[in-house]
Amino acid sequence: METNYETIVIGGGVVGSGIAYHLSERYKEGVLVLDKKYPMSGTSGSTQAWVWVHNKTPSWYAEFNMYSAELYPYLSKKIGDVEYKRTGGLSPFFNESDREKAQKLAESYRKIGIKIKVLSREEVLEKEPYMNPEVAGATYSSIDGNVNPFRLIDMYMRAAKRNGVRYSTYNKVTEIKKQDGKYSVVSDKGAFECKNLILAGGTWSREIGDMLGVKIPVNQLRGQILVSEPLKPFLNFTISGLRQANNGEVLMGYSMEEAGFNRATTLDVIQETANMAVQYVPGLRKAKIVRAFSGIRAMPEDGFPILGKVPGHENLYVAATHSGVTLSPLIGTLITELIMDGETSIPIDRYSLSRFG
Amino acid sequence: MDKTTIICRCEEISCEEVEEVISNGGRTFDDVKRITRCGMGPCQAKICTSMVAEIIHQQTGLSPSEIPLPRMRMPLSPIKLETLATNSTSFSTVKSVLDEVELEEGKVR
Repeated sequence: METNYETIVIGGGVVGSGIAYHLSERYKEGVLVLDKKYPMSGTSGSTQAWVWVHNKTPSWYAEFNMYSAELYPYLSKKIGDVEYKRTGGLSPFFNESDREKAQKLAESYRKIGIKIKVLSREEVLEKEPYMNPEVAGATYSSIDGNVNPFRLIDMYMRAAKRNGVRYSTYNKVTEIKKQDGKYSVVSDKGAFECKNLILAGGTWSREIGDMLGVKIPVNQLRGQILVSEPLKPFLNFTISGLRQANNGEVLMGYSMEEAGFNRATTLDVIQETANMAVQYVPGLRKAKIVRAFSGIRAMPEDGFPILGKVPGHENLYVAATHSGVTLSPLIGTLITELIMDGETSIPIDRYSLSRFG
Repeated sequence: MDKTTIICRCEEISCEEVEEVISNGGRTFDDVKRITRCGMGPCQAKICTSMVAEIIHQQTGLSPSEIPLPRMRMPLSPIKLETLATNSTSFSTVKSVLDEVELEEGKVR
């Protein structure tokens, strides 16, 4: 296997493969993606995969997510069917007192061009007839949706490979050295050299950064999800908490726990998730659950993406974030611009690693 | 096994589809599962596990002991959601997206 590349991406998940694909569109130099297992064996393969914008805060971060969501229809035309659906997103509330907060959200987001409607009980039930009639209201935005994460990453990989990107999987990086202006990446299957190195290690970013003496403060945050049997199509929207996939399965869950890399599912969270699901959509009571699973989010210390050049290290880049599914088309585009043009079409200074000091 | 042999009855996945994942670099049942849906149906891989292991073995030469088993998860056999629910409406680990929107001096942060 070729050992010299212009660019190496460490991590083939949704962020790393998204970068590799977008690079391969413009860039004819050699690109290699290294993955310690097979892409999707970590966070990217254990997610509900909402493409979610409308109640992320603060507004500048929601705006960043909006630009990425706007790229999805075009992306699926380029790489193939990834089952992207712009369903619109509903975030229900069951307490009338939440309406004021919802209205404040809608007001401040109108200024940046994200249209959020605050729906009455009747409007929610008209949109989503199976929602609990006791719902007080919901925020709604037409920009939200969801995607099939397996299709997405598989299509990123296939399109990238067609454009000449090489993948080396089941190949763990064990050491990174800087010598003669190049990076030498030592892996289980030998050493590779490159000019540009992109760290897209997701939940393992901290460990990969350590190999270069760079602190990438990413922690782990577990989420647990329940999967139902395929049901007839009955949910119209991506509801924050549950969604129905193309094949009829309903995915339910929105939980957060600090559990390191432990991917167990636990009865207490499964039960709480079941309670959330029946509170939102009581008709799910009789639906059968076939599986529970858990995934580990890559959560930067302050909750926001870490993107761009690594200060003090020439030709070293980092992309580490949660919401990788929503953000991958934009991150892929911006990192490509940064490498090829030296600047990005949307400023990413506030996402720089340098903010952690 | 013929190329058209159905390996996963629940999701109707053929031998050929499983082989393609291995030739693209997949090494485990879970790699095959994520890309093809093999084993994601109601039986949760109770039928297809050993056949997929056999295909992995044939294509890669890995011995059966080097091929990890798929991860079994609750509830093992499908059960109704109401069996899991306790009817409580107070949540701690499970969040509502709107709860994460914080107001600062009456304004969204």
